Amino acid sequence: MTLMKETPPPKQTNTPTAPHARPAADFSDAPAASDVVIRTDRLTVRYGTFEAVKRVSMSVLANQVTAIIGPSGCGKSTLLRTMNRMNDFVPGVSVDGRALFHGDDLYASGADPVALRRRIGMVFQKPNPFPKSIYRNIAWGPKINGYRGNMDELVEHALKQSALWDEVKDKLHNSALALSGGQQQRLCIARAIALQPEVLLMDEPCSALDPIATARIEDLIDELKSRFTVVLVTHNMQQAARVSGVTAFMYMGELIEVGDTNMMFTKPGNPKTQDYITGRFG
Amino acid sequence: MTAHFVQLLDDLQRRSMRMASLVEDVVQEACEAVFDGNEKLARRVIGRDQEVDVEEVQIEAEVVRLTALYQPVGSDLRLLYTVLKTNNNLERIADCAVNIAERAEYLDRLAVGNQVNTVRQMTGIVQCMLRVAIQAYGDQDADRGYKVQSEDDAVDATYAQIIRSVVVDAAGNPDNMAAYLDILSIAKNLERIADHATNIAEDVVYLSTGEIIRHQQR
Repeated sequence: MTLMKETPPPKQTNTPTAPHARPAADFSDAPAASDVVIRTDRLTVRYGTFEAVKRVSMSVLANQVTAIIGPSGCGKSTLLRTMNRMNDFVPGVSVDGRALFHGDDLYASGADPVALRRRIGMVFQKPNPFPKSIYRNIAWGPKINGYRGNMDELVEHALKQSALWDEVKDKLHNSALALSGGQQQRLCIARAIALQPEVLLMDEPCSALDPIATARIEDLIDELKSRFTVVLVTHNMQQAARVSGVTAFMYMGELIEVGDTNMMFTKPGNPKTQDYITGRFG
Repeated sequence: MTAHFVQLLDDLQRRSMRMASLVEDVVQEACEAVFDGNEKLARRVIGRDQEVDVEEVQIEAEVVRLTALYQPVGSDLRLLYTVLKTNNNLERIADCAVNIAERAEYLDRLAVGNQVNTVRQMTGIVQCMLRVAIQAYGDQDADRGYKVQSEDDAVDATYAQIIRSVVVDAAGNPDNMAAYLDILSIAKNLERIADHATNIAEDVVYLSTGEIIRHQQR
């Protein structure tokens, strides 16, 4: 599937008929476990003249959790937000190099960021449920995308996938704002996966949560990777070590090192990575 | 926090090195005691083993404490892991030294005259291995770690030579069987010390490079 406006996405993507599965057309070209889903090629992102991300080349593999770590201001959130063009909303932002999703350039003229964000969902640092009921938080996205299937089933499935169903099944029409912080964050994950994206981008999803809620989200991420590709930005290195298969370390806008998480946390190749993960700087 | 942790790691390393020096001394004294028949020195070796045991437990507790509190990664993790393993190897080396020292009272050096020189030669190699392994540990020097590892085969060969020699001689002198068992016990414990020194050296390579080289063809 292309993201170019000239070639509209298949109907199934916008109007899924099966609530519990990605449409059949997408299964036919579903990537194998080792396939590259997102690839950046010498990607540079500037805010005005400031280079927040500098010539970063890396790949995100299907059904893996890829963690991006680094000190504050290293460009990790900017890189993440570039992957579904959330930076488009930032005044003065410019992008050089390429960011590819299944080989299609996300920033090609004519690429449709709205279609892109249906396939690459995002969960933010602070839980941001809509001031509506739990049910409507989930149903809203599919509804405006023209979903015509059984909405009750879709909501239930999304809540089950995000490990929230048992806690909210008897109060689906209560306000989402009455949920705890951890529950709200899982609701936001449910809201994101209700659109059946391929990729979930998570920007510090646990930083506002207590340790128990954090553990639940980490367990959830581990479960989600069998169905989704996850890119996780985190300040918490133990979290990166626990939940990710691949870790990328960024420093001052540059990608210093990317590799297998076990290796990154026991035998990093670059002295800067070593110094960062052992707390010598950052 | 990090500076504090780095200081605690340095303190732990120094403490582990002090234990290593103590164990090196104990091995030296055990060998002197058994070859000179110095029972007083042998008793001193046996007494110092308690000192090693106490230190081993305290170092292990500190490794566990630092791991739990600071959740180390990278080279810090490798260091704590290596200190823990080296700690265990040093304690076992001290036990071997005690076993050697305990033979000082009983060993009939005249009865095993053919073997004593070979065991003395083995002692020199083993003590050298232990010294270099401890130096490599202190300096986190992988090259010297590899060097120690390569010496272990020579010790094994010497030990095998001693066994063959004892088998031949004991067949002709069954009355001296106790002395042959004593010299075999000493050689066996020296061989074990060399094994532990090799373990330390291999862990030094891991500490320095992250490579696990145990059980690889040399």
